[in-house]
Amino acid sequence: MTILTWLIEILLGVAGGIAVGSGVIAFILVLDIIPRLAQLTHSYHKVHWYEGALIVGSLVGTVSDFWNWKGSFNPLVGLIIGLFFGVFVGLLAAALTEVLNVLPILAKRLHMRNYLLGLLMAMIIGKVAGSLFDWYVFRR
Amino acid sequence: MAKPSTPTVYLQLKKRVQIPRDKMIKLGDIAHILSEPEWEERLFSLELVLPLPKDGNMLVMDLMQIIPRVKKVIPNVFIESIGLQQVIVEIVGVPKKPSIPLFLLVWLLLFFGSALTIMNFHADVNMMEVQIKVVEMITGKRDEHPYLFQTSYSIGIGFGMVVFFNHLFKKKWNEEPTPLEVEMFLYQENIDQFVVAEEYKRVGMKQAKQDEHPS
Repeated sequence: MTILTWLIEILLGVAGGIAVGSGVIAFILVLDIIPRLAQLTHSYHKVHWYEGALIVGSLVGTVSDFWNWKGSFNPLVGLIIGLFFGVFVGLLAAALTEVLNVLPILAKRLHMRNYLLGLLMAMIIGKVAGSLFDWYVFRR
Repeated sequence: MAKPSTPTVYLQLKKRVQIPRDKMIKLGDIAHILSEPEWEERLFSLELVLPLPKDGNMLVMDLMQIIPRVKKVIPNVFIESIGLQQVIVEIVGVPKKPSIPLFLLVWLLLFFGSALTIMNFHADVNMMEVQIKVVEMITGKRDEHPYLFQTSYSIGIGFGMVVFFNHLFKKKWNEEPTPLEVEMFLYQENIDQFVVAEEYKRVGMKQAKQDEHPS
C-alpha cells in the first residue's frame, strides 16, 4: 500500500514539475529575451549554453528553495546577486508586449515620435522608483 | 525608317509616399519609371488626381487606375509593372507641433503607471518573501528588510530595461534594430495593410452600387 502511495506521489510530482518547468521556459522564450541578449553580445552560436543556464538555474533555485540551503557569505554577495535578479526582472518588464505596444501608438497618435526616448526613460525611471518606493516606504 | 516598335514602360510603385495637401499627385511622385527617354519627362509629370478634402488624409492609388492614364499619353504602350500593386498616398497638412505640456502629462502617466505595475508585480509573485529567503540563503541570517539586496535589485531593473531597449549605447554595441524600432515598423506595416484592404472594400462597394443602379 505504501509503495502505491509513493508511486502516486512520484507521478504527481513529475507531472507537476513537467507542467511548471515547460511553463517557465515557454514564458521566457515567448518574451524573446535570449535572442535579444544573443543579438547584443553577438553570440548566436552559444545559445545552447543559455538554454543550459536556464535549466540549471531553475533546478538550483528549486532545490535550494525546498532544501532550505543556508550559506554564510558576506552580505555584499547579496548585492551582486540582487543586481542579477534586478536585471533579469528588468528584461522581463521591458519585453512584456504591453510596454512595447503602447509606445508606437503614443508616438503616432499623440505625435510624440521625437520624444520617444524621453517616454522610454519615463518607463524605466518609473520602474526603478516604484521598486525603491515599494521596499523603503510601502513595506516598512 | 521602320515602324517604331511598341514602347515599353516599366513602372514600380512606391510603397508609401507623403504629398502635401492641395498638391496634384503626379506619376513621378508615386512610382519609379523606366522608359524611352522621349517619354520619360511626360510620364514623370503626368497628373493623376488632386486629393479632395473629403478623401481624408489617406489615399490608395491602384495600378488599375494608373494604367489607363498612361495609355492616354502613349496609346500603344506596353506597361510592365514591377513590384507593388498599389501605393499609399498620405496627404500631409501642416505638421502638428508636439506640445510640451502633453508630453509632460504622458511622461508622468507612464512614470506612475510603470511604478504601479512593478509594485503590483512584486505583490503578485510575493517578491519580498522571496528576497528575504534568498538573502537568508546567502548570509545565513534572516533579515526582514534586506535593503542592500533590494536596492541593487531595483537598480538592476532599470539596467535590464535599458539593455533590452538598447537605446543608450546603441551605436557602441551594434547596428541592428532595437525591439522598439521593429515594433514601430510592424505597427506601421499593419496600418498600411489595413488601409489598403479597407480602400478595396470601399471601392468594391461603390462598384456594386453602380452596377445596381446604372445611371
